[in-house]
Amino acid sequence: MSETLRLQALCEAILAVAREPVVAEALAEVAGEGVTVAEVEAALEQVRCKHEAEGSGLVVERVGGGWRLATRAEHEGPLRQFLGLRSRARLSQAGLEVLAIVAYRQPITLPEINFLRGVSSAAVIRTLIDRKLLAVAGRKQVVGTPLLYRTTREFLVHFGLPDLASLPSLEEVEHVAGEGVSGT
Amino acid sequence: MDPAAVEGVQAARPAVVLPAFEGPLDLLLHLVRENKVSIWDIPIARICDQYHAVLERMEELDLELAGEFLVTASWLLAIKSRLLLPRPEGEDDDPRAELVERLIEYEKVKRTAAVLAGIEEVRRGIEAVSLEAPEAPSERELDLADVDIIALGQALRALLERHRREHPPAMEVPPMRYSVREKIVELFDLVTRQRSFPLLSHLLTRPERLESVTFLVAALELVRLGSAEMHQRQAFAEIHLTATGTPLAMEALGDV
Repeated sequence: MSETLRLQALCEAILAVAREPVVAEALAEVAGEGVTVAEVEAALEQVRCKHEAEGSGLVVERVGGGWRLATRAEHEGPLRQFLGLRSRARLSQAGLEVLAIVAYRQPITLPEINFLRGVSSAAVIRTLIDRKLLAVAGRKQVVGTPLLYRTTREFLVHFGLPDLASLPSLEEVEHVAGEGVSGT
Repeated sequence: MDPAAVEGVQAARPAVVLPAFEGPLDLLLHLVRENKVSIWDIPIARICDQYHAVLERMEELDLELAGEFLVTASWLLAIKSRLLLPRPEGEDDDPRAELVERLIEYEKVKRTAAVLAGIEEVRRGIEAVSLEAPEAPSERELDLADVDIIALGQALRALLERHRREHPPAMEVPPMRYSVREKIVELFDLVTRQRSFPLLSHLLTRPERLESVTFLVAALELVRLGSAEMHQRQAFAEIHLTATGTPLAMEALGDV
């Protein structure tokens, strides 16, 4: 087996047993003498393409700062049925709004979030923290030292984002279909 | 403000279908959209009236949210009244400026939320794959070069500890000191001599539980053999053992 193929197979195997997204550096460390992070990244990209080209039941994706092996979205129904699980609860509109605010303006305090939404969001924040999508990021040094919130790695994984920089830019968001009022 | 637009309020009061609003800003955005007006030139009087109309129809508004809606309602009224008053010379601040700003910001939030909702919709049901891999050993693995006398001692201690854990002291079985056969003879003797023998008191006063048990079994055997009868007037009362006159047939006893 060629060295590249060996590296691809090894990376795939490690992703299969990893419990959370794996960073390329960690893979390079165990891949053997002289294997660089760039080579690992290339190998992972190859594995990803291979899965895609073959229409495999598994996908390699780059989320939350690392790489992971995952099932395909379209298999949700049968998979959940097989495992005897109910389908996962979708985030509420309020939850999505708070996440959107925190994602783009973190770290941010509750009063600031409330101001932007025009409604109190305390309960929503609690739910999002319970779902591990938000975390506390210290306190803001202003009167009352309110808690600051940030998004978590779980948030990145949930939305399939490699990192925060990959969030769609606000300009891109502008072009999302939907009747806007500020376009005029 | 466009007078035609103001007139239109009474004529064509929009039949606002009430979707669930996330808050006052959400409702305001909805109204601006419904009226097809520019956010940069909101007909405050019209929007304000419609806002209040919607508020009146929101009967099952929960209290916390109602508060937020009412605060915004009064804010709208304040903007409306400021618009009606002649503005001081030289001041060209639009009283609607802050409202517009907040609506635009909120609209961005809504759009971003929509993007996230879209991503979530597409990614729902993607599960991480994780094969069952062997657990990482919790103890430090010994390198041969590391084996010194301390490590050896620790290994021995761990071994003994594990041995002790896996082999708890066995249950102690004391030797049989009382025989049922013996007690039957003893009881039969007592019963024949006393006619009515207080069995319970006798059992309760034995110094050893094992002896009491043996006595009880012996008493039951006596009754089974027909050499004695047991009587108890009520639960926990004295148990009287009386002789029936039938002689003791030890050969019928069997292996006890």
